[in-house]
Amino acid sequence: MTATLTGPQTTAGMGEFERTTSRWGRLTMIAGLVFSLAGPLYLVFFADLGVTATQLFTAFAAVAGTFFVIWLVEPLTYFPILGSASMYQAFMIGNISNKLLPAALIAQSSIGAKPGTPRGSLAAVMAICGAAAVHLVSLFVFVGLLGTWLISVIPPDVTEVVRIYVLPSVMGAVIIQAIVSLKQVRATIVAFVVAVLVLFVLVPLVPSLAMVATAIVVLTTLVIGWFVRKREAGAGRDATPEVP
Amino acid sequence: MIPTTALATASMAAAAEPSPVLALANTPVLWICALGVFLVVAVQSVIYMKAARKAAPSVGMTPQELRTSFRTGAIAAVGPSLAVVLVAIALLALFGTPATLVRIGLIGSVSFETAAASIAAGTTGAELGGPTYTPQVFAIVFFAMSMGGAMWMLATLILTPLLQRGGHKLEKVNPALMTVVPAAALLGAFISLGLAEVPKSPVHVITLLTSAAVMGLCLVLARVPGLRWLREWGLGIAILVGLTAAYLAHSAGLGPVG
Repeated sequence: MTATLTGPQTTAGMGEFERTTSRWGRLTMIAGLVFSLAGPLYLVFFADLGVTATQLFTAFAAVAGTFFVIWLVEPLTYFPILGSASMYQAFMIGNISNKLLPAALIAQSSIGAKPGTPRGSLAAVMAICGAAAVHLVSLFVFVGLLGTWLISVIPPDVTEVVRIYVLPSVMGAVIIQAIVSLKQVRATIVAFVVAVLVLFVLVPLVPSLAMVATAIVVLTTLVIGWFVRKREAGAGRDATPEVP
Repeated sequence: MIPTTALATASMAAAAEPSPVLALANTPVLWICALGVFLVVAVQSVIYMKAARKAAPSVGMTPQELRTSFRTGAIAAVGPSLAVVLVAIALLALFGTPATLVRIGLIGSVSFETAAASIAAGTTGAELGGPTYTPQVFAIVFFAMSMGGAMWMLATLILTPLLQRGGHKLEKVNPALMTVVPAAALLGAFISLGLAEVPKSPVHVITLLTSAAVMGLCLVLARVPGLRWLREWGLGIAILVGLTAAYLAHSAGLGPVG
C-alpha cells in the first residue's frame, strides 16, 4: 500500500512500482489460471473418459456451494494487510496465513519497516518472493522428486499429526512475532477482545458465520483499532505517520 | 472429514499395484502444466523483484535491505514449507505427482483440496481412494479442485483493482489510515486464526502455547549478539518444537476424537 507521505520522489517511485506490479501481477495470475485449468480440461476433452458436462457442472456447483463465501471473503480480508502488489503474489501461491504473512512480517521486522509504509510494502514483496522460492523448491524436491520415497519412510501417524496441528503450531509463533514487532498495544488488546467475542460468543449464537469469523474479526479490529489509535499528545491530531 | 481413511486406503492400494488413476494422473501433459505453473510463479517473482529494486531508492531502502528481506522471507518459509510438504505427499497416492504439485503449489491448501475433492467425488457417487475411484472420477475431481482455485484467483483479479481504488480514496482522507489499518488487520487475522484452534482439543492448545513460548524465547535470545540468526530461524524452530509437543500429546490420547 503506498502512502503519499513525503516528497514527489517517493510517490513517483511507488507509483511506478504499483503500475508495474498491477500489470504484471494480473498477467502472471491469468497465466497461472490458464495453466492450472489446462490440465483438467485436457483430461476432460482428450483423455476419452466419457465425462459429461453435467457431471462437471454438478461437481463444481457442489464445491462452489461450500466455498464461494471464502473465495469472496479472503481477498477482502487480506487486502488491508497485503496491499495490491502482494495480493497477486499471495493468491497465486496460497498458504497466505501460515507462510506468506509470517514471512512478510518477520522481514519487515528485520529491517525495521512498518506494514503499510512504502518500505514495508517493498520488504513484504521481497519476503514473499523469498518464501515463494522456498515454497517451489521444497515442493519440487520433496513432493516432485522424493515424494513417493518419503511416503514409504515417514510413518503415517507423523503425517497425521502434522496435518492436524500445523496451523496452531504456526499461529502460536506468529502471534508472538506480530505482537513483538508491531508494538501496537491497543490494536493487540482490541484484536484479542474482538476475537474472543466473535469466536466464543457470536459464532456459537449464529453458526452460519463460522466461515467468515476471521473476516469479521479483522474488519472489526481494523475499525475499532482506528478509533482507539494513539494520537499525538496535546493537539489531538494523529501521530505523524512514519516517514518510510 | 475424509482425509484419513481415503488417504490411508489410497496409500495402501497404491503400494499394492499401480492404479489406472495414477497412470492417467502422470500423463506428460499434466507434467507440462505443473512445470508451467511453477514457471509462472517464478517469473512473477523475478518481475516483482526487479520492480522493487527500481523503487527502493525512492523510498530510502538500500539494496542490502532488499536482500535481507528476501533472505528473511525465505528462511521464515522453511518451517511452514516442510510442514506443507509432509502433508502434501499424502495426496500423491490419490492424485498423482503433477496434479498434487499444481494444486498445492498454486493457491489451495491441502485441507481445501481434499475437502473439495471429496465433495466432488461425492457428486459422482464415488469415494476418494475407494474401489469406485476411477480415472473418470479423478478427472471430474481434478476439474472441480482446479476450478475452486481458479475462483480464488478470479476474485482476486476482480476485487484488487476495486479495493486499490478504494484504498487510494481513503488514503486521501487520512494517511494514518494506511499505517494503522494493516497492523490492526494483521493482528486481527492471526489472533482470530490462533484462537479458533483453541476449542478443537487440548493438544491444539498445547501446540499453540508451546510454539508461542518457543518463539518468545527465540526472540528474547536473539538479542544476544551472535544469536541474531534466531530472529529468522525462530519461526521454523517454534513450529518444529510445537509439532513435537503435539505428537507427544496426541500419542498420549489427548487429541480430537474421530
